[in-house]
Amino acid sequence: MFEWLELTPVALWVGESLYGYPFMLGLHAVGLAIVVGIFAMRDMRLLGQFSGISYESIDGLRKLAWTGFAINAISGCFLFSSQATTFVVSTPFLLKIGMIFLAAVCAAIIQHRMHADAAKWDESGTAAVGSVRALAFVSLVLWMGAIISGRLVAYL
Amino acid sequence: MEGFVQAIEGTAINQWVLGSQWAWPIMEILHFMGLSMLLGSLLIIDLRMAGFFRKIDVGATHKMLPWVFIGFGINMTTGILFVMGDPARYTANIGFWWKMALVVVAGLNALWFWWKINPVMKTWEPHADTPALAKVIAWVSLGSWFGVLLLGRLIPYIGTG
Repeated sequence: MFEWLELTPVALWVGESLYGYPFMLGLHAVGLAIVVGIFAMRDMRLLGQFSGISYESIDGLRKLAWTGFAINAISGCFLFSSQATTFVVSTPFLLKIGMIFLAAVCAAIIQHRMHADAAKWDESGTAAVGSVRALAFVSLVLWMGAIISGRLVAYL
Repeated sequence: MEGFVQAIEGTAINQWVLGSQWAWPIMEILHFMGLSMLLGSLLIIDLRMAGFFRKIDVGATHKMLPWVFIGFGINMTTGILFVMGDPARYTANIGFWWKMALVVVAGLNALWFWWKINPVMKTWEPHADTPALAKVIAWVSLGSWFGVLLLGRLIPYIGTG
């Protein structure tokens, strides 16, 4: 199946045309900066940084963060198609995908909890509850792990 | 430039970067983490300064400024080590020079902010629209930093000028 994928016209365009691969790689870097950047700042807010920025207002950036996520899911599929047989047996690549999946689950739970309770934390001036803070910490670790394993795909 | 390349090649740092199997990938990982910190904090600061996301207190976004400097510091340090490790490759690459030019544009733009916007920011309403000049500076900042990001990622694919 992965051999077939590598030979599809889309995969050949990504892998062999002059601009296909760099174009997708450029998009992947932009999406990374948006999704990891925004989620990391939100996580640090939940961990107690940047008091003065309300929890509710930073939760308002979720659409932007998910836009970055979507850019990378799409460009990532194009990049994968061009070297599918190599990536599918690469341990760092599989680790990266696993960590991104878990980070996305974390993000979904965090924003669900923030949607319900952020205004309350803002009003009372208290910190986010412990379970959400723990999720924010796990989310940060997972995104850093995804960057580490993503870079190592090129080396291992 | 040849003199510059010759002066660097053979130095202890040059030899360390080239000789250590893990130096380059670890520096790349740090460079990617640094760019996430730099661009993540700047996205929030600049988009608010451009008038978006008005629920965010515009003055409070500046609590994120330390992460702009931390991200920039990590990337300047690792960036210098990349050039020390392989000076011939970078100095011959037109994409690298465009990237450096954009870093200078971003730096001058930050000074412009410091000179014109920072002193009056305290008088802004926390959730109001922002003045036109602040919007211009915010968009120049985002444009130049995302340009830096793209040029950096594409250095391996851009010709040697």
